[in-house]
Formats: sequence, C-alpha cells, structure tokens
Amino acid sequence: MINTIGIWVAALLTLAIYSFLYKDNAFYKIAENIFVGVSAGYWAVVLWYDFAWPNLFEPLLTRGQWYNIFPIFIGVLMFAPLIPKISWMIRIPLTFTMGVAMAVSITQFVQGDIFPQLQATFLPLSGVSLFKGFSNLLIILGVVFTLIYFYFSKEHKGVLGIGAKIGIWFMMVSFGASFGYTIMARVSLFIGRIYFLLHHWLGVI
Amino acid sequence: MRVFDYLSHLDRRIIFLLVALAVVIPMLVPLNLPVDITGPVKNVYDKIESLPEGSVVLISTDYDPGSEAELYPATEAIIEHCFRKNLRIYMMGLWPAGSELGNMALNKIAQSYNKKYGKDYINVGYRPGGQVMLLSLGRNFGDVIKVDYQGIPIDSLPLGGGVKSARDISLVITFSAGDPGILHWITYFHARYGVPICGATTAIMAPQMYPYLSSGQLTGLLGGLKGAAEYETLVDKKGRGLRGMDSQSIVHLLLVGFIALGNVILVYQRRRG
Amino acid sequence: MKTILPLIIVFCCGFYMLATFFIPARFSQTSSQTLQNWYLGVMAFFVFIGIFNLIKINVDKIQRKLRDWQYSIILLTFLGVMLGAGFIGGRDSKVFLYLFENFQVPLGATMFSLLAFFVASASFRAFRAKTPEATLLLIAAVIVMIGRIPIGYLIWHKFPDLVEWIMQVPNTAAKRGILFGIDLGLISMALRVLLGIERSYMGGER
Repeated sequence: MINTIGIWVAALLTLAIYSFLYKDNAFYKIAENIFVGVSAGYWAVVLWYDFAWPNLFEPLLTRGQWYNIFPIFIGVLMFAPLIPKISWMIRIPLTFTMGVAMAVSITQFVQGDIFPQLQATFLPLSGVSLFKGFSNLLIILGVVFTLIYFYFSKEHKGVLGIGAKIGIWFMMVSFGASFGYTIMARVSLFIGRIYFLLHHWLGVI
Repeated sequence: MRVFDYLSHLDRRIIFLLVALAVVIPMLVPLNLPVDITGPVKNVYDKIESLPEGSVVLISTDYDPGSEAELYPATEAIIEHCFRKNLRIYMMGLWPAGSELGNMALNKIAQSYNKKYGKDYINVGYRPGGQVMLLSLGRNFGDVIKVDYQGIPIDSLPLGGGVKSARDISLVITFSAGDPGILHWITYFHARYGVPICGATTAIMAPQMYPYLSSGQLTGLLGGLKGAAEYETLVDKKGRGLRGMDSQSIVHLLLVGFIALGNVILVYQRRRG
Repeated sequence: MKTILPLIIVFCCGFYMLATFFIPARFSQTSSQTLQNWYLGVMAFFVFIGIFNLIKINVDKIQRKLRDWQYSIILLTFLGVMLGAGFIGGRDSKVFLYLFENFQVPLGATMFSLLAFFVASASFRAFRAKTPEATLLLIAAVIVMIGRIPIGYLIWHKFPDLVEWIMQVPNTAAKRGILFGIDLGLISMALRVLLGIERSYMGGER
C-alpha cells in the first residue's frame, strides 16, 4: 500500500513538472520548490552522517583527537559574514581551500593530463596499415591545427590563418559529434521517465 | 509555399507532442531492434572478465537523479556482471544522491546472487572533497573512510578492513555525470596510483572521454543509454537500456527530420528574399 | 590584515603542498596528508553554509512577502521534513529513503528530462546550416545521431564504424587540442591564485 502511494506521488509530481511544457503554472512551481527543499535536506543529512560526524566531530568529542578543532574552526569561519565586524574572515577558509586545491591541481594536470595526452599524440605513421597511418596523421594534424586556432598572440593571417581555418573544421566535426550525443542524452532522460510512467505507474508495459 | 510559412511559425507544443508520441509508441509496440556492440563498451566487458575471482572493484556512483535514466541501467548491468564473476564490490559516491542510487542497485542485485554485506560488497556512502579526497584515498583509505553508510566502523567489516590503499583495488568503475567524476578519477587517482579506470558517463560527456580512451588512461567507456543497452546485450540482461533503444531510434529519426525540414525552410526563405 | 593574511595563507598552503609533491620524506608526506584532511573537513562547511543561506533567503522572502513567497513555505516545509526524517530516523531510515525515492528521484529526473523537448524545438527552429562550418557541424551531428542508434546499423552495417572513426580521429584530435588549452589555462590561473595576483574569489571589501 505504502509503495503504491509512493509511486502515485512520484507520478503526479512527474506530471506536475511536465505541465510546464503547456504553460508555467502553480503545480510546476510547487513541484520545483519541493525538489529544492528535499534535495537540500538530503544533502545535509548525508553529509553529516557519511562524513562530518565520523571524520570530524566524533573523533574530537569521543576519542580526544583535539587537532580536528583546526578544520572545524576554519570551516566555522564560513559563517563570519553574519557578524559584520569579522565578515572579512570568510576569506580564511576560502584561501585555505583554494591554496590546497590549486596546488594539487597544478601537479596533477601536468602528471595526469598534459604528459599522457602529449605522449598519446605521438602516433606511428609507418609500420601500421595505410588507413591507420592516415588516421594517426589526421589526429596529429588535428591537435596541432586546433592549438594554432587558440593562439591569439598573432593575427590569423597567411599560414597561421590557414592552420586556424583547418583547426576550426576539426572543431566543427567534434562539436557536431558532441551535439549529436547531447541530443541522445536529453532524449534518454525523457525515455527514462516515460518508462517509469508506463511500467511502474500504469503497468501497461 | 504556404505550408512552409505555416511550419516556420509552428507552435512548439506540437513539436513537444510529436516527441512524446515518438517515445511512447515504440514502448507500447516494441520493435526489438538489434544493438551493435562498440569497441569501448567491449573493453569494459573484457576488463571485468579478465579479473580473477575475489578481486575488489571500486564502484563510484557520481551522479544524481537528473542523470539516473542514463546511468542507472548501466550501474545495474555492471554490478550484475561483477557479482556473476564473484568479484567484490566496494561502493562509494562523489555525489550525495549517487551513493543512494548506487545502493539501490547494489542491494537489489546482491539479493539475487546471495551476496553478503560486509564480505562480498560494502557501501561507504558519500565522500566529499573531489580531487583532494581521491589523492588521500589512494594513499590510505582509513584517512578518508571511517564508517560505512550505515555508520558501522569500516575496519569491523571484512571487505572494509581488507582495503587499505589503491594497491588493494583491481579496477575502478565510475558512473559519472559531471564534476567531480570520471575526469578526477583519471587525472588524480589513475595518474598517481595506476589503478585502471573504466567509466560509464552521460552521453553529453562521452565525446570528451575519447582522448583518454586513445591514451589508455581510460580502459573502456559506456556512453549514455546506448552504452548501457550494449552492455545489457553483452551480459544478456533485458534491462531499461535495451527497452529504451526503440524509442531512442524513432526520436533520433524525428529530430533529424526536424533539422532537415528546418533547413529546407531556411533555403525557401532565402529564395523568397 | 584583511587582505594580507588571506594572501599569506593561500601562498603558504599552496606552495607547501607543491613542495611536498617533490619531497618524498616522511614528514613532508604526513604534513601534506594532514592539510588534505583539513581541506576535506572545511569542504563540509561549504555545504552547510549553502543550506543556511537557502533557509535565510526563503525566510526573508516570507517575512517581506516578496513575489511567490508562498512557495518558500513549501520549500522550507519539505526541507524541514527531510532534515527531521534524516536526523531523527537516521540516514538509512525508511522515511528518509521513502522521501528520497518518491520525491527527490522522480523530481530530479523529470526536471532534466524537460530538456528533451527544448532540444527538439531548437532542432527545428534554430539548427540552421547558414555557413560552411555550421553545415559541417550539422552533417557530423546527423551522422552521429543516426549511427549511434540501432536503426543506423540496419540502414548500413558500417554506420557504427564510421561514427566510431569520427569519435576516435577528428573528435579526439580537436578535444585533445582544447584539453591542452584548458589545462595550460588552469595551471596559469592556479599560479596566479597562489601568487595572489588573482583575488576575485576572495570577494570585495567588506
């Protein structure tokens, strides 16, 4: 019984959202605000139980790990804007997290992105089949021409202009492929909802 | 021509209706179109097949209900494959809702394979922190994970206590809808610790994964609902992925028709001046 | 003090973390791990402040009877119900999970599925091949859209292979070039942040 009520609630909320396609209306706005409220509440609860309590507060309060007070103190400074006199202190947690994240990003972008991708661009042109060699050449040229397009320190004229133009062609093919996949993604989301309505709610499939 | 004038001002609600019909009708009258298998999907399948029994697979459900339609079928198909191969699953989520969605799939399939929580699979819930968390995790799981999603101390569970660092993980499979997600797993976890990564992403993200497939940083990829359908074919499971392919086909043809018609109207309008 | 102290923090934390990447000594790795653990702890408060702000904005809206204030009551009610279900019943309580499965999941999934309709409408009204580049884009899109569906395989059995080639060659080439650009840009931005040249994330004078 309770599961049936749940399915009906889910179906009615789904239809309330879809009513927006006809016209903006109160049912859609109600459903939208329910979504925001439920999502925010869910996030807070999960964050507390999965991370904040076991990793931060519980070790401090029950196991005497006093050094946990430092991240808690820095985190609490996020609420500093509530007191105008010390509102500037919000910069402390912001700069702390930015410093750590930026430093980690610098090393990992080089180690995890740039070097492997550079290595993968050095592809064999001989010792492979003609078609594979041609494809490899296209990849190498495509990367070079795309990078030429993004070089804005010099005007795109002459040889540079031709390189940039070819780079645009490669990017247009890539964006076209991305566009095709984007359409596929959006349609898939709708298919999922229709499957729910027809199978779980109405039981016709 | 009057019909082109009419079409150029067509009420968009008619377009909406046509899209809805293009999805609903194939669901009610299935075409059962055969699904071809692509290389990146086969790579995921082969990688899981190659793992010895008892290997630990870390599954990260990094998506929310907004991408559930694309990634949940893939989650079920891959978990099913892992259990069939008697692999052990260590689940977590970089997104808060992802951990629960993954949990739903995990518990449902574990029941049908008589798998025991704590020994054959565990779920450690939501892990915030993105890239920094992944670097800490690979070095020492204990620094990041103290309890599972039910609050049980992780060391008290056989599987939880047995996984100390990235060295104990044979494969990471991430179901990713954005940031943090698969790119972080590749750039931070794989780059630092060398654990192979397979991914299932939304179709929107799939094109940007191909450079990583080409470089070998990503072993295999399921892109969108089609990827899920291909994997369901490989593991012989009639799931939501396969069910959706008929509708996907008809809607794509409809949209190609819209694009073509729109451009015919453009040519007509240009000729008319 | 208000500017100097934060800049000192970002400089010291950032360059210390960078240094520990290159120093394998035990002290360096332990202290780096500690800073990373503190980072994770602080990140939790980013979410808490977000939820606090959500409550504050909606309470303010109700008190001042701004436009659509009635919907804020609904938002706060369901926020309260979810928090209550979670903190009283527990993270894996039946009520909490029931609300997640029957409210959050369908609402979230449906919200994003609306885009299918708008993309269909846009494909009819806006996707026009007005230039040679746009034509190339649309041709690639149409090939991918047909090649990636089962019907594409039935139309021509090599269609999926053609799509796979497009993804593995021109798409990979362009995406890789863009990736290099983004990565180099992000590294330069990161260095600007660490050196205190880029300060927009700190907000204005308070």
